[in-house]
Amino acid sequence: MRPEVHAAASEPVRPEELAGLDFYRDLADRYLAIEGLDARWIPIHREGLRPGKETALRLHHLLSLTRAVEEVLDSAFRAGHIPGTAFFGRGNEASSVGSASCVRDEEWLVPMHRNCGAHLAKGHPPYSIMAHFFGRADGPSQGRDGNLHVGYRPKKITQLISHIGTMLPIAAGVAWSAKVRRNGQAVLTYIGDGGTSTGDFHEAMNFAAVHRLPLVVVIDNNQYAYKTPPADQYACPTLALRAPGYGVPGFLIDGTDILVVREVVSRALDRAREGGGPTLIESVTMRLGGHSVYDRYSDYADMETLKLWQEERDPVKRYDQFLVEYEVLTPGEIAASHARARKEAEEARDAALKCPFPDPGKVADGVFAE
Amino acid sequence: MSLITYREALSAALWEEMERDKEVFLVGEDIGLGGGAFYVTKGFQQHFGRERVVDAPLSEAGFTGAAIGAALAGMRPVVEYQFADFVTETLKMILDFAAGNHYRRMGPVPIVFRLPAAALVSGGPYHSQNPEIWFFGTPGLKIVAPATAYDAKGMLKQAIRDDNPVIFLEYKKFYSYRPEDLPAPLRIDVPGGDYTVPFGKARLLREGGDLTLLTFGTTVLEALEAAQVLEGEGVSVEVIDLRTLCPYDKEAILGSVKKTGRLLILHEARKRGGVGGEFAAVVAEEVFEHLDAPIRRVGAAECPVPLSPPLEKAYLPSTAQVVEALRELAAF
Repeated sequence: MRPEVHAAASEPVRPEELAGLDFYRDLADRYLAIEGLDARWIPIHREGLRPGKETALRLHHLLSLTRAVEEVLDSAFRAGHIPGTAFFGRGNEASSVGSASCVRDEEWLVPMHRNCGAHLAKGHPPYSIMAHFFGRADGPSQGRDGNLHVGYRPKKITQLISHIGTMLPIAAGVAWSAKVRRNGQAVLTYIGDGGTSTGDFHEAMNFAAVHRLPLVVVIDNNQYAYKTPPADQYACPTLALRAPGYGVPGFLIDGTDILVVREVVSRALDRAREGGGPTLIESVTMRLGGHSVYDRYSDYADMETLKLWQEERDPVKRYDQFLVEYEVLTPGEIAASHARARKEAEEARDAALKCPFPDPGKVADGVFAE
Repeated sequence: MSLITYREALSAALWEEMERDKEVFLVGEDIGLGGGAFYVTKGFQQHFGRERVVDAPLSEAGFTGAAIGAALAGMRPVVEYQFADFVTETLKMILDFAAGNHYRRMGPVPIVFRLPAAALVSGGPYHSQNPEIWFFGTPGLKIVAPATAYDAKGMLKQAIRDDNPVIFLEYKKFYSYRPEDLPAPLRIDVPGGDYTVPFGKARLLREGGDLTLLTFGTTVLEALEAAQVLEGEGVSVEVIDLRTLCPYDKEAILGSVKKTGRLLILHEARKRGGVGGEFAAVVAEEVFEHLDAPIRRVGAAECPVPLSPPLEKAYLPSTAQVVEALRELAAF
């Protein structure tokens, strides 16, 4: 098998679209020139990605809902409703929603802590997410954990633990069960740019590749692992380049374009379902907020670059613009969709704040399955 | 019913469970083509195929995580490590993910971790350890330590059917012992068919009225030898094999101490941080008034496991040490 690495962004990539993204183009060009690699830009024409109205609305709702849920949670934290800390995925919405919306109902999703959009796209109700963040009895963990360290079994979403990298082998195992059962299912999972430095990343990718597991791994490269930028995290030109080392296809994609994400992830999932094995996708975004609610982002981030990404590569704004430009939805329909998402998030918050806390008398219950 | 080795008992349990339930599968290094470091799964891959007897790459954390993922999806994996010592590669998977999963209301993790444990002829620091202390303080794990072929088979079957993660300590030292060479209390017929041994029930290896000797794992041998010596001196020692460390049979411990008034705790692991400290504390807390002497413990020397034969011998608890401690307790 020839090593394959591809870059995907909506074409034509106009110079003005690359504002703040020069590094991205540079990286892609560099590895595209590596001898022996079957590497190329995948020309994804925006016109060809144009979704039907129903799909467009559904995606728009999920994208907007992700933003709204996290904004509402952020305010709720400042109002004192979230015990501990809180992590959000602002800037990651298109990568999360675009990918998880390709996963079928009967398939497992193994998300990470910034993939709120993946939870919502797979069907985790906002009320349940809010109750969980607030440490209430109706959260899926019934107050045992917080943030998105939570699964939602009715929708086949797994939980995660805080140890970065650990979930990748576990995701490989979920995919393994699908392979052994021959049920034609694939598993989608995520890891961050920092997570790719762990031994677990390597062990899982190798295991999945050796056993040709139906696993699609999206590296959400949001350019900061807590406070550490890519230059201090890895020395290869792009993380997608790790793929050929494992004998699996790799992609470098623009993670702020929901339609590009959907296109590439759905192809990878189909390939996995058909027995083609794993795919590694580096989805480049920018974390548009600090690591956690306690983090002073400006202490270490280049705020000029951040501003450029906010202006040019905000995933929610980009999708709004696309839908208008290609006349899929009207500005009025888009505004209505945003308002609906905001209302849904606020109602979920209000309901979750009325939910009781768990019973302290049952603190030690449920350690073992009976 | 037949007398078979500990290793044969483990193989029988795995084979029968795999025949019984197609969701049961095995994963580990060298277990398929090679039949495992200690040949417990010899011939399994030829019969059950490569998808159910999985030769994993050299990546304990990776294949342990993968097995946990499969368990989340409802399968019943049995993970084998070449040596118990290498489980440290996987602690975040077991302690942080698997153990707490049910408490976090995220469903059961039905998985067995098979840990070939304890010292075996100059294994050295990384092939000889007693790993129970790494797991004992973490809620959500069951820990079992069969010392007989009968328990090895029945407890492994029980572990596979349990909906919780089970740390299954199996003792390399016992793999090859011929049943006819074992002391009578350990020479137990192993049924050819299906049976399970429930967790949390100790086994009375020897009844006695003067002293309680509580032990588990490899040191059942030293315990029985020492009890024999004391019998010749007119002291009647009750020997209890705990069999399960989590949950442990508190009633059996307290009941025996109430009867004898004297307790010696013996395990191969070091005393400091060893599980014996928990049993001593529980006895002190709950039946102090029945004690006629201080609680004593015997364990390994307070150092890593050394390799050179005279050093290893000096490290491990010996029958002589147990005899001496029993004599002191009896005379107190």
